[in-house]
Parts: sequence; C-alpha cells; structure tokens
Amino acid sequence: MAVIKTKGVEKTYNPDKIPVRALKGVDLEIAEGEFTAIVGPSGSGKTTLLNIIGGLDRPTGGYVEVGGEDISQMSDNELIDFRKEHIGFVFQAYNLIPVLTARENVEFVMLLQNRSKAERDARVKELLHAVGLEDKLDKRPSELSGGQQQRVAVARALAPKPTFILADEPTANLDSASTANLLDIMARLNREEHITFVFSTHDQRVIDRARRVVTLVDGVIDKDERRE
Amino acid sequence: MIPILSWRNIWRSPTRSAVVITAVALGIWAAIALSGFMTGIMKSYVRSAIENSVGHLQIHAPEFTEEYELKYYLPDVQKVAQELESLPQIAAYSTRTVTNGMASSSKGARGVMVKGVEPQQEAAMSAIDDKLTEGEFFPEMRGNGVLIGAELADKLNLKVRSKLVLTFQDLNREITAAAFRVVGIFDTGNAPFDGGTVFVERADLNRLLSPQGDTAAVQGALAHEVAVLLKDVQQVETTEESLQDALPGLDVKTYREVSPDLELYESQIQNVSMIYLVVIMLALVFGIINTMLMAVLERIKELGMLMAIGMNKAKVFTMILLEAVLLGLVSAPIGLLLGYLTIWYVGENGIDLSAYSAGLADYGIAQVIYFEIDPQVYWQMAVGVFVTSVLAAIYPALKAIRLKPVDALQHV
Repeated sequence: MAVIKTKGVEKTYNPDKIPVRALKGVDLEIAEGEFTAIVGPSGSGKTTLLNIIGGLDRPTGGYVEVGGEDISQMSDNELIDFRKEHIGFVFQAYNLIPVLTARENVEFVMLLQNRSKAERDARVKELLHAVGLEDKLDKRPSELSGGQQQRVAVARALAPKPTFILADEPTANLDSASTANLLDIMARLNREEHITFVFSTHDQRVIDRARRVVTLVDGVIDKDERRE
Repeated sequence: MIPILSWRNIWRSPTRSAVVITAVALGIWAAIALSGFMTGIMKSYVRSAIENSVGHLQIHAPEFTEEYELKYYLPDVQKVAQELESLPQIAAYSTRTVTNGMASSSKGARGVMVKGVEPQQEAAMSAIDDKLTEGEFFPEMRGNGVLIGAELADKLNLKVRSKLVLTFQDLNREITAAAFRVVGIFDTGNAPFDGGTVFVERADLNRLLSPQGDTAAVQGALAHEVAVLLKDVQQVETTEESLQDALPGLDVKTYREVSPDLELYESQIQNVSMIYLVVIMLALVFGIINTMLMAVLERIKELGMLMAIGMNKAKVFTMILLEAVLLGLVSAPIGLLLGYLTIWYVGENGIDLSAYSAGLADYGIAQVIYFEIDPQVYWQMAVGVFVTSVLAAIYPALKAIRLKPVDALQHV
C-alpha cells in the first residue's frame, strides 16, 4: 500500500509576477517500507517536492495523499497536527532544540502528542539505544558531535511513530564515518522495523544505499529506478 | 515541557536576560522608592497639619465654618466635652476660641489667626508644645502670654519676652487691642502656619473678646472649635459619624474636610504616583519587547523546526509569552525586595532634604522625609509587571506564529 501518493503535483512560485514552475506535474507513489532517495540537480524541485509531501507547503495543482489522507487542502493548523502524528523530519542542519538534552529532544514530540510518561520514557531509551546514544541521554546538542546530533534527530523523527521519515540532505554536514554510521542505522530501522524513509540528497553514499532512486529534472520525474 | 523550554530559552543569552532583568528590577525599585518618597512627603504634610492644630476631627457651629464670624461660637461646650469624654477612642481634645487679628511689633504688622487654648488640653492634643525652640509652653502665673511661630518671630523681629500687640474685633464688633508677651517660639517646619498662627490662653482671649457687661458665663463658655485627636487615625470616619449623631446641630468634620488641601494633597500624590508607575511600566514594555523580539528573530529557523515537527501555534505563542512572564517573575522579586529594603531603611533613618528645606517649609513639608508605603503598592507592582510582560510579549509572539515553517527552515 502506498503511504505517499502524489498525482499531478504542481508548484508555481510567484504566480502573479514572474511565475517559476518548480514542479510541473509529479506523479509518485511510495509504498510502506521503501528506502527512497529523491535526487536531481539544484533547482530540479526536489526540496519543493519534499516540502509538499512533508505537509510543509501546499501544491498549486494536483493532490497529495499521505496514509490515504489528502493533505493538499488542509489548513495550517490541520497540517501541524498531521505532521505531528504522521511525519518524522530529519533536517540537514540537525535542528535539535539547543536548550534540551538528547532525551528531552526525543521526548518533545511525544509530549506534544500527550503520550504517557511511562511510554515516553520507554520509547526514549529504546530509540536512543537504537541510534547508539544510550550513554548520551543527558547531553545537550552542543555537547554532541554532528554525527551524534543527527542520530538524535533520527531518534526524534521516529519518536511519534510516524507514517514515514522525511530526510532533507541528512548527511550533507557529516564526515564519512558519521555518514556510514547514520546510514547503517537508518537501513537497519528500515529493514527490521519496516520504517519508510524518503531522502532528498546529492550524496552519492546515500544514493548508493537507496533501494529506489527517483531523479527529478526541471520539475518532472526523469527516472525512477528500483534496486533490490 | 513548555515552561521548562521557556525557562531555558531565557538563559540562552544570559547577558541579554540579565540586562532586561536588571532594567525591570530597577524600574520596580524606582517606582516603589518614588511612591515611598511621595507617600512619605504626603504623610509628613498631613501628619504635621494634624499635629500642629487641625487634629483628626473638629467640631464647630455650622455657620462658623462658612463665615468664621466671632459670633458663631459653640452653643454648649460642656455638652461637647462630656460627649468626648465618654468615647474611648478619643486620645485628647482641645477647646479653642478662634479669631483673626493683627499682630504688630515695632518692626511691622501681620495678619494672624489667634487661637485661644487651654494649655493642658492643647499640649495633649497638638504637638505645638514639642515644637518650641525657645521659651516655655504657657508658663504658669503669667497673664497675656503668647506663643508665636519662628516665621512670625523673624518677620516681626520678636524674641522671647518681646512685646506683641494683638488687635481684633470683640463680640460687639469693636476694635480691641492688647499687649502680649512672647513666652515661646515654635517651629513646625510649616512656614505658612508658623507665620500666620499665634496661641494665647483661652481665658485671656475670652476676656478681651467679651467686653464689660458680658457675663462670666459667656466668658467661660465662649469657644469656636474643639479639635479632637484619636488614638487611631483609621477610626476617623466612624467617630465622625457617632459624634455627629450625638451632637445634632453642630458640624463635625474630619481633617480632610477641615483642610481640603490635605485631601487634595493626598489624592494628588496618589495620582502622581500612579502616573509615574505607568510611565515606568511603559518604558519597561519597550525594553521587554526589544528583548523578546531579538529572542524571536534569532531563532526563526528553530521556530520553523518546532512548527514543522508539530508544535502548534497556540503552544508557540504560549512559549514566547511565558518567556517574557518568566523574565518578569525573576525581576519582580528582586525589584520588590530592593524596594522593600529601601522603604524600610529610609523609613527608619529618613532622608535629609535640609538643603531644600526653605522651599519645602514654604509648602509645609518637613526637612527629613521618612519613606512610607501603602503595602498595596507591592501587589500593584507585581501585577503591573505581570501585565507588562504579557503585553510586551504579544507582538513578538505574534511575529513567531506568523512564520511559515517552510520559509523559516530556510532562514539563515
């Protein structure tokens, strides 16, 4: 079953002045458990596509379904709630909350979801163990390396038990060892727990590990290759 | 979690937070100290007026307070005295004969209010006896003694034992004059009072006011005013009512009614204090807005991330609001404590304004001001800071929730 489905998705910036068509009708289906990289040169529209399937932006044409729900017409507040329950974000610059510890960063979204304390505590330990940071529970982001911060970000993205994880250039700021480590963790989570990952990336190391690579060129899908 | 997040957020820039906390604390301190100073001045003025002769309550014939004519004396002084003796809340009272006249010496003449008093009663009722700088308070066996103020002594070049001629109308509207001997000079610090009031013995004044032919009874009973001092100023209103009920046909007035300037002064000081308070709070509003705006603008990306991962606008708004309120909550106790200590210290030791005393005395204000404060001011300040913080946070918080996560996340 497709967890993400886009049909004829278009995005035009500045429609009234000098229109820029970033997406020109994208049809894409991503099934549960896929490990997909969206690639393409700068300006190809991959960040725009990611923002739209992540519910951060709305298409100007077509529609987007996540988990069977059309999110393209939702209000801002509905989108916030939808993202909280269904989408886990991993950002290029980690974007952890600097004043919270690793444990608190992971716990934060679950607090927004009003999960019980027992459930939160258990899940924080489980997730930070899964990303190999069980000994860094009480460290703040400033006390962690880039790779460690990004692993905390992955744990945070997983915390709300989302429908899928959206990772925007997750390895762009990481060295090779950290990148390999992070990719290992994500691949394992994907393999063992069937978590769906969607990346946008330039990084060949990520592309090499992806099981599906969608190439965008000038706002349309140019290639869609699956590897097993 | 949001309160924890807000609390930690305000310590991200410790210096910036410390600056705004200091500003708010100093603002609170300044407002309290100012209020203490002004209340101190006001109370000193009112207290000195009460002590100098007004008392807490005064009883007159109704017509007397309108026209101040000699003929409007109290019809039955004995009854008033009996009534006052029966009330436990009365500390002292003084029966007075009052007239306006002219005080002349070899140097000149000045209009004065002549108050004929029973020395013992007056000493208990007012503080004039304590404020003598020279001479004695009506030494016994001495007819026609007069107490004058330092101001009048200066203007008329009088000393203790100097001769002073008082001229006034008697009950028959005839001009009468008599020589008095200065027995004491008082200095209340209130120049208008010291320059315009003299005290003589009531028996002496009554004798002069009631020319031959008047009966001894009239002489003994002639009095225009009974000034009353209470044990507790809080009982002014209730005592006024009970006395008014017990003495129908007479006019019982509180010090505020007797001297409307006191009431005006009290209310003006309160108004001015409130204006200062509002001005200080306004300044603080802009200080807090500035700080909170900086705090929001420097974490646009983070706010975008928070909204991206599911923190709704109400929670973001609350977080920013809470940051401002927490800043206020840290500042307020510091400011309140500083203010309290200042009021306590200056309340005990006073602040010496003698360098400006000439000007102050002209307005009837003492040279040493002891800060006093209505404890309500502390609450007003606490509530004021809370409201100020909330108001100041609204604009930055609105700015935060208007961010679009997709744009905010791109912010560099």
